[in-house]
Amino acid sequence: MAIATVSAQLGRQRVFDVLFRGATRAFAGLVLLLLGGVMVALGVGAWPAFSHFGPAFLTSTAWNPVNDQYGALPAIFGTLMTSLIAMLIGVPLAVGVAVFLTELCPPLFRRPIGTMIELLAAVPSIIYGIWGLFVLAPFLQLTVQPFLIDLLGDIPVIGVLFEGPPLGLGMLTAGFILAMMVLPFITAVVRDVFLTVPSVLRESAYGIGATTSEVVRSIVVPYTRTGIIGGVMLGLGRALGETMAVTFVIGNAHEIHASLFAPGTTISATLANEFTEAVTPLYVSSLFALGFILFVITFLVLAAAKLMLLQLERRAGT
Amino acid sequence: MTMDYSDATAPTPPPKSVPVKPVSDPMPPRQAKTLPNLTPQIATAAPATTAAAKLVVKCEVRDLRFYYKQFEALKGINLTLHDKRVTAFIGPSGCGKSTLLRVLNRIYELYPDQRAKGEVLVDGRNILDPGQDLNLLRAKIGMVFQKPTPFPMSIYDNVAFGIRLYETLRSRELDERVEEALQRAALWNEVKDKLRQSGLSLSGGQQQRLCIARAIAVKPEILLLDEPASALDPISTQRIEELIAELKSDYCIVIVTHNMQQAARSSDYTAFMYLGSLIEFDETEAIFTHPSQKQTEDYITGRFG
Amino acid sequence: MSRYGRRRIANRVYLALSFAATALGLVFLFLVLYALLRNGVPALSGPLFTQATPPPGSAGGLANAIYGSVVMTITATLVGTPIGVLTGTFLAEYGKDSRLAAVVRFVNDILLSAPSIIIGLFVYEVVVKNMGHFSAWAGSVALALIVIPVVVRTTENMLVLVPNSLREAASALGTPQWRVIVEIIYRAALQGMLTGVMLAVARIAGETAPLLFTALNNQFWSTDMNAPMANLPVVIFQFALSPYSDWQVLAWGGAMLITLTILVLNILARILASWSNRSP
Repeated sequence: MAIATVSAQLGRQRVFDVLFRGATRAFAGLVLLLLGGVMVALGVGAWPAFSHFGPAFLTSTAWNPVNDQYGALPAIFGTLMTSLIAMLIGVPLAVGVAVFLTELCPPLFRRPIGTMIELLAAVPSIIYGIWGLFVLAPFLQLTVQPFLIDLLGDIPVIGVLFEGPPLGLGMLTAGFILAMMVLPFITAVVRDVFLTVPSVLRESAYGIGATTSEVVRSIVVPYTRTGIIGGVMLGLGRALGETMAVTFVIGNAHEIHASLFAPGTTISATLANEFTEAVTPLYVSSLFALGFILFVITFLVLAAAKLMLLQLERRAGT
Repeated sequence: MTMDYSDATAPTPPPKSVPVKPVSDPMPPRQAKTLPNLTPQIATAAPATTAAAKLVVKCEVRDLRFYYKQFEALKGINLTLHDKRVTAFIGPSGCGKSTLLRVLNRIYELYPDQRAKGEVLVDGRNILDPGQDLNLLRAKIGMVFQKPTPFPMSIYDNVAFGIRLYETLRSRELDERVEEALQRAALWNEVKDKLRQSGLSLSGGQQQRLCIARAIAVKPEILLLDEPASALDPISTQRIEELIAELKSDYCIVIVTHNMQQAARSSDYTAFMYLGSLIEFDETEAIFTHPSQKQTEDYITGRFG
Repeated sequence: MSRYGRRRIANRVYLALSFAATALGLVFLFLVLYALLRNGVPALSGPLFTQATPPPGSAGGLANAIYGSVVMTITATLVGTPIGVLTGTFLAEYGKDSRLAAVVRFVNDILLSAPSIIIGLFVYEVVVKNMGHFSAWAGSVALALIVIPVVVRTTENMLVLVPNSLREAASALGTPQWRVIVEIIYRAALQGMLTGVMLAVARIAGETAPLLFTALNNQFWSTDMNAPMANLPVVIFQFALSPYSDWQVLAWGGAMLITLTILVLNILARILASWSNRSP
């Protein structure tokens, strides 16, 4: 009797063991399927547009719901341009913050300041949007933009970037807000990889009389280059897909201008603005096609970022 | 459910396949579940003196080899462990003494790149057999680790955890079992008023005794101690050693230690290991007074290690 | 000037720049918070919590949007957390260094940073299209898909921190592996895992993009999960971009509400995490 009950108990436990293990595995598989599912669903939704317009969809600047003519170029241009601006502003800032937090900051303030920088990432996108629209844009329109136009507008070549009326909204404003939004993500990665530098290396550099900035430039940064690039790519992936903040301040025009002050659009802003208003099937499908393009771009960028960080992790692990 | 994995697949059935319950067992007959093959010695309160007890072979290790990936950590070990005796494994770090201990309850199987070859017979049955149910095996062979490992729960639940796994007891019976185990581990007086406090709130030495109580609460037949006092202060160490002397009347105890005085004080048999091989195995007194091997002598006299 | 003097000045300049970068980041945070408080506090005077969103020109509040946000956030968390915890468990306890685990980890990290609007499109295609209409269920699914990768990540990280000695000690008692995990390891990692869930809640509480084409919006009070449901982010989006000043005031009020909630959640999560790291 006793043996039978214990055996049954053991048998039950084995069944539970198998079930539990199976459940964790199944959900892990679900996560894999999710990524595949996203790609397939977007592909299916995008197919009519791709087959109707062909490769010209990528190079056409038309975006005319009345004639049912759509081209992705302005949105792709805007997406890449705002992200580029965000990186140009955000990366130096992020690295600066990471240097400050790891090398300069008194230990007492390290945590509170680090936390506050991280909280920048916690503020929702839409908050940056509403702030950008009502606070930042009027400020830029009245002060910074007229100043830049006066200062740089007449210089050949560069002047093109600062042409046109100061609207407040546009590529530059969007890029600046994006820079602030990706700053905490890049800082977090850079700070982490800075901490992987063996202290022996650091100490021996200080030991021969190097200054802090020299140690950072010639020891820490070269040692962690892949990690920094990984962090930058991670930030880029975020910037490319950021939606709400950009939607508020980009100006929403399917146009391509050289000027940084001109309004434009991005893939995500187009989706946010127009998806629920799209009436014809081709319109909806074109929006799906934009989403598909965005997904492919961010996937590539994020995958590259992840691989670089993995490489560094492996080195730090050995 | 008609599954019966545990014993049906075992090649050599255990000699005692029916759980013999002596009349003196205080366990009430209503108890629903008990482990097969479990001899409840704790219940017979009068401790038999070691000298009087008959020598019974509890465990036999035959040509045991052990591998971490490709590295051979044990190179053909042969050894006999006796019931109601304490056997100590000594040797320099990396000699394989802990590895050998970890084979006896197959705890190494938590790590996929470790494997054992050979035979380990417990009561005549090879526990390395793939058909062996690991949970049942480990319920019968208790283990205490180098560092105290209290579970993140109350003192009471720490001890009750193992009992609840295989037995369905009424709360009063469970209370008794917990108290009994804590008393045997010489911890009861210190914790009886704070059983609901977290096990993590105890001191290091108390935590280790809690772990011993947890191990003996499930009434195992063999007790494996992996350097149980190495992380403790001298006073706690002394208490643990007293506890070992106390417990050996009921269990087959195996202790790994790097402290030779401890081995000399608390064990009946000593195995000296070096580089994955068993160099010498004998009664403790013999090992420490006239070892037959030069390496053993060098080690116990402190000339290497 | 001596070479050493020049080096010292260069050093000062670099360090000053890094300090300036940090200061800019902090100033930016405070400017945003200041604007939220300044424009959001006036909205508190109205019936913010008691009335549904008004038509332009009349008085109203955000009660329906607050209800919708809370309900969808809770639903998404309840759906996403178990999936995330089990997947994280697979990575930390079963998969470990296996190929499958490496791939899942990689994919999960990509999902973690993937644009949330893409998730919205996906749920539109899979759920909304099949149901034939927008609904709170679809919104909850979209948010749950954002919860999952966050919880997977933190669960795995927290389980890996639990020392192996605890697993060995539990197994050595003859505990089946699933009970080792559920009753011992989860308990040891509980605070860290809760932190992860709180961070996930904070993340989805302000998500707008995935709700735009799933839950949509609803001008009226509605508790029907099968119908479009109002929610704070989408209402803020719609009201902020509208030309009506009373709508804009409500938008600011909602924005302040969301941000303060999220910041509090974040700070609580951090306190919980540091508290759990300190205990042995």
